[in-house]
Amino acid sequence: MKKLFTILAIIASILAIILSVLPVSNLAIIPSIFALICGLVAFYLSKKSGEVKKIIQFTFLLTIIALAITTYKSLFNTVEVANTTVLEKKEAKSEEEAIEELNELDIDDIDIDDSDIEDIDIDE
Amino acid sequence: MMSNRFIIALLLLALNLSAQNDAIAAGEKLTYSAAYNMSGILTDIAEVTMETSSVKTSKAALLRLKCTAATYSKWDNFFKIRDLYESYVNPKTLTPYLYKRDINEGNYYKYMKYTFKHKTKTVKSQLKKKNNFEENKNIVINSGTKDIVSTLYKIRLFDYKNMSVGARKSLTIIFDRKEFKGQITYLGKETINTAIGKKECYKLAIGSNQTDVLKGKNSNFLWLTADGNKIPVYGKFKIPVGNGELKIKSATGLKH
Repeated sequence: MKKLFTILAIIASILAIILSVLPVSNLAIIPSIFALICGLVAFYLSKKSGEVKKIIQFTFLLTIIALAITTYKSLFNTVEVANTTVLEKKEAKSEEEAIEELNELDIDDIDIDDSDIEDIDIDE
Repeated sequence: MMSNRFIIALLLLALNLSAQNDAIAAGEKLTYSAAYNMSGILTDIAEVTMETSSVKTSKAALLRLKCTAATYSKWDNFFKIRDLYESYVNPKTLTPYLYKRDINEGNYYKYMKYTFKHKTKTVKSQLKKKNNFEENKNIVINSGTKDIVSTLYKIRLFDYKNMSVGARKSLTIIFDRKEFKGQITYLGKETINTAIGKKECYKLAIGSNQTDVLKGKNSNFLWLTADGNKIPVYGKFKIPVGNGELKIKSATGLKH
């Protein structure tokens, strides 16, 4: 029983650390809480039997680091979109190309001249 | 007899008018943030914008519908998305003439172009991928088939005010050179809080007969404001673990 909770706490705390470093840092809260609970249970059980293993304290340390990273990220990282210049250029270029193509299309819904459309040069 | 005919003609006219664009103006810009929601914990993923502008060609004035998706900077090193979806449509009926999709996701690139020929009911498609891969294909479509972008806007033109709860509308969409039927169900009014204020909304369920699209039926919802603009303010989409959310951040250039 003691072993089981210790292993669960180790796994959960490692998972929390991994998640907290990734962009999904918010999700690290779930394994953090789990690791804390498992760690506390393992700690309590091993205290009862006398000997507390260092590894349990280590999981607490990992969990606290994970929580600290998560909190820091959620407080200080602004949510923004960067590097959109390429996309903006593409949008502008795409519109130019589209206008050229549409010029060759006969737009009128009812009266579309097929020969006109066939002329469109798709290859770029 | 004469007056009956007149009334029928008037009704038809009214029906016809209701299918016209009375909600979408050129110069409208809607910004959303797409987030992943897992048991209440939100993670922002990307910014989605929907923009309209008028485009003048030598023969007509068209409406350009543009949707972009770009991941937030924290994701760029892991999985960078820069997607561009465009549709050039008739400003009154939202009938598409030209559709372009340019997606850049991580290392994946795909370009798709449809040229609609409504008279012959065909679509000329052009697919481009990395390493100069190119494929041209002609697809036969049904009348009224729209691309995904103009469908998104078309949803806003339905007359929800006079719709009863549970009423359905079906739409034919062409995506990845295949046609599939989409269906929206009106679920009534609901008031929700959004970034642009508390809004009374029409709640819609979005389903399709292709079951593998976003898994399951009636688990995708969309909220449109219950005013003249009918802008989508909130969307909820079921994915295998957790769900995706689309929340409005700002709306400018609205018609009403």
